[in-house]
Amino acid sequence: MSETVVNLWSIPLLVVIPILTAIVLNLLYNRVRAIRVASVVSAAALLVVSIVSPYGLQWFTGQPGVASDGSYTYSTSIFSWKLSLEYYFGPLQQILIFTSSLLLLFVVVISTRSLKKDFGPYVAIMFLTYFSTVAVIMVNDFYHLWIVVEIGSLLVAGLVAASGAGSAQKAALKYTFFSALSGSGLAIALALILGITGYANISDAISFLMMTDLGNMYNVLYISFAFLMLSWIYAGGLAPIHPLKSDVYRSAFPHATVLLQAQSKVMLVAIGLVLLRMFGGLPFAREAMLSISLLTMILGVVMALIQTDFRWILAYLIVSHSGLVTVGISLGTPLGIVGGLFQAVNDIVYMSVLLLCCEMLLYFNNGTSIRSSGGIAKKVPWLAAFAILGAFAASGIPPFNGFQSELILIQAALGGGLPEVAAVILMVSVSTFIALFRGIYSIFLKPSTNPLPEGSESASSPPRGMPIILGILVAITLILGVYPQLALDFLTESAVKVVYVPWVP
Amino acid sequence: MEIKELRGLRGVVAAVALLIIFVGVISSFIQLEGNVARGISEEYNKLAYRMAPNNLASWLYDYRGFDTLIETGVIYVGAVVSVMVIGRGLVGLKGMREEEEVAAAPPIALKTETMPVLLKYFALPVVILLLAYGLLVVTSASTSGGGGFQCGVIISSAYLLSVVAYGRRSPLNMRKKALVAFGALGWGLYTLIGLPGYLTTNFWQYNVGADLWSGLPSFPAAVPEAFRQIFGEPFKLALHLEEGVYYATSGILPIINVAEAFNVIGAICLIFFAFVYGWSDSAEGVEK
Repeated sequence: MSETVVNLWSIPLLVVIPILTAIVLNLLYNRVRAIRVASVVSAAALLVVSIVSPYGLQWFTGQPGVASDGSYTYSTSIFSWKLSLEYYFGPLQQILIFTSSLLLLFVVVISTRSLKKDFGPYVAIMFLTYFSTVAVIMVNDFYHLWIVVEIGSLLVAGLVAASGAGSAQKAALKYTFFSALSGSGLAIALALILGITGYANISDAISFLMMTDLGNMYNVLYISFAFLMLSWIYAGGLAPIHPLKSDVYRSAFPHATVLLQAQSKVMLVAIGLVLLRMFGGLPFAREAMLSISLLTMILGVVMALIQTDFRWILAYLIVSHSGLVTVGISLGTPLGIVGGLFQAVNDIVYMSVLLLCCEMLLYFNNGTSIRSSGGIAKKVPWLAAFAILGAFAASGIPPFNGFQSELILIQAALGGGLPEVAAVILMVSVSTFIALFRGIYSIFLKPSTNPLPEGSESASSPPRGMPIILGILVAITLILGVYPQLALDFLTESAVKVVYVPWVP
Repeated sequence: MEIKELRGLRGVVAAVALLIIFVGVISSFIQLEGNVARGISEEYNKLAYRMAPNNLASWLYDYRGFDTLIETGVIYVGAVVSVMVIGRGLVGLKGMREEEEVAAAPPIALKTETMPVLLKYFALPVVILLLAYGLLVVTSASTSGGGGFQCGVIISSAYLLSVVAYGRRSPLNMRKKALVAFGALGWGLYTLIGLPGYLTTNFWQYNVGADLWSGLPSFPAAVPEAFRQIFGEPFKLALHLEEGVYYATSGILPIINVAEAFNVIGAICLIFFAFVYGWSDSAEGVEK
């Protein structure tokens, strides 16, 4: 095994910078210029760190590992039980954190220009949401995974409740109440795993299970699997709690939903990979994960088809496409996992395009209902173009990125002897197209039948730079669609490790 | 959801689900009884005395110190979000018509003038005792049970008692900006105390004062003597054991505990303040 650095400099920066920025922004409260400068500089710094960072581990607090002979070591080529909390930054982490950092930068630029009132605490919560996203994908410890999921749920509630609207606060309250189950599920799973293995470090717990005959303790392992899966369902908004999560996506400002959906997808990936690494060998474990994923895909897209508001359509499609991510992971083969991970990256990007287009509708259309006036394409052609391109990517139409990841997922399903799963993926792809273009036609393409009365349009112009931001995101969907290897190079190693050496983070 | 909604099929499903969870958890705990693997805990216990006689302090603030930082964050975020619901930091898009905002709950009517005289005289010494107890708990975190969390809760209850008994004329009348700052200071200090270890060893929150590991050949960096002195000497302890007197220092742990206390005081008192007085940005300390 090659030597990996255990005190990687970049990992602490990726988690500490957002925390400190959030504390400062909360104190700045209503000082608009200072908040704008601090948040943009901080988000840009995080983006740079995610790009330039090498790969390695961070053993927080610097405690060594305990080798089999009882000696202490910092060498990763010697097997040891870890005393420290361990984070890992590898290719998978890099691409997901880079994507999240880019979105954070865009969302910060947009929100600090478009929000009124005292938005320091709100932007602070955005930074902490980013923190929970990057922490959950890097952590290799059950206990810390629990805490990150717990704080992540609170932050979701905060971002949603911040609008002060009655429906948003109701959605936030409902989500907080039920997401407490996610944290509790993880806490019970953690307690049981600790009881069985004695190790909170995920790699160490897996190593222990591989070295030890559990005897009749397998029942306990199954119970802990069930609770971890419960937290996976709640943290990611999978069926049957998809209405709660879609309510959250719809109730937040669309720019906030960009971060929320990224957080959900990354949590699904992080917890999903832990489920596979830890319990992938248990009979029926992957089947249970696959069933939930398929149910989520189908229910999400069916609900999206019957909505009459573009925000609701997107909210349910985000849920449905979360199922696409998890279906790949649940297949448990290297190709399936690569497909799931690639789908997560793609999904985060193209949903961001659609959500930001949705936010622009608040300025140009005075709402997002598909029963509204129509004819937006004539008024704002660039917005219509971006919405259509985003919809193409989301529907899996070549040459956009969604096509490539869905193709890999279909190949993985067929390769795994599950043609019915491939059929469902195809069905979701087609239904996504119908749901999105039903909304896009009504809002953008249909001739305006009922022009907005004079003075009813938004009094404010949209944030400057939005076409550039949308252009960059659409370019990414196109580049990844034409040259998928760019992303696949980051994902393949992680997928192979999960299947063949699950004890390696 | 109202109770009546749980009647019928939905209630049956909920009851069955709860029953399955209950049976699963209880049967697991029964199976684990006597079979719990000790794992890494043995190693933690073996090492703890070298830093803090209170094993729990070593566990929580050193070995698992970064976990605890994020747990501290849960309290901080809980306060920020709760107070946001009351009205601090609600946002809207410029130039947009807004959906009707939720009417803020009216402040609790505290009628301190009707408080019995005896209680008023009794409350002040209790508040002072609670403050003293809180300080004792936080300063002895490394050597006995307790720490920043506990101190924060004790001092917050002193604040609560004083507000209930004396209202705005409370001797512990902290302004809301001060409470926000307390929380920020607490979580910020806890976060930043990781910096000395990071700057010297690249390990975030390495306990440079206690410095248990820089002597190992595979330790990737060296801790400067100045850092050991600054963060170690002030917190040196003499342990009188049968084998003789043993000197150890808990290093950065006492500072972390103080930071933790500030965070908890700021967070809990802020939530309490907002629920009692409501939130108004314009009038600092004036009841709505």
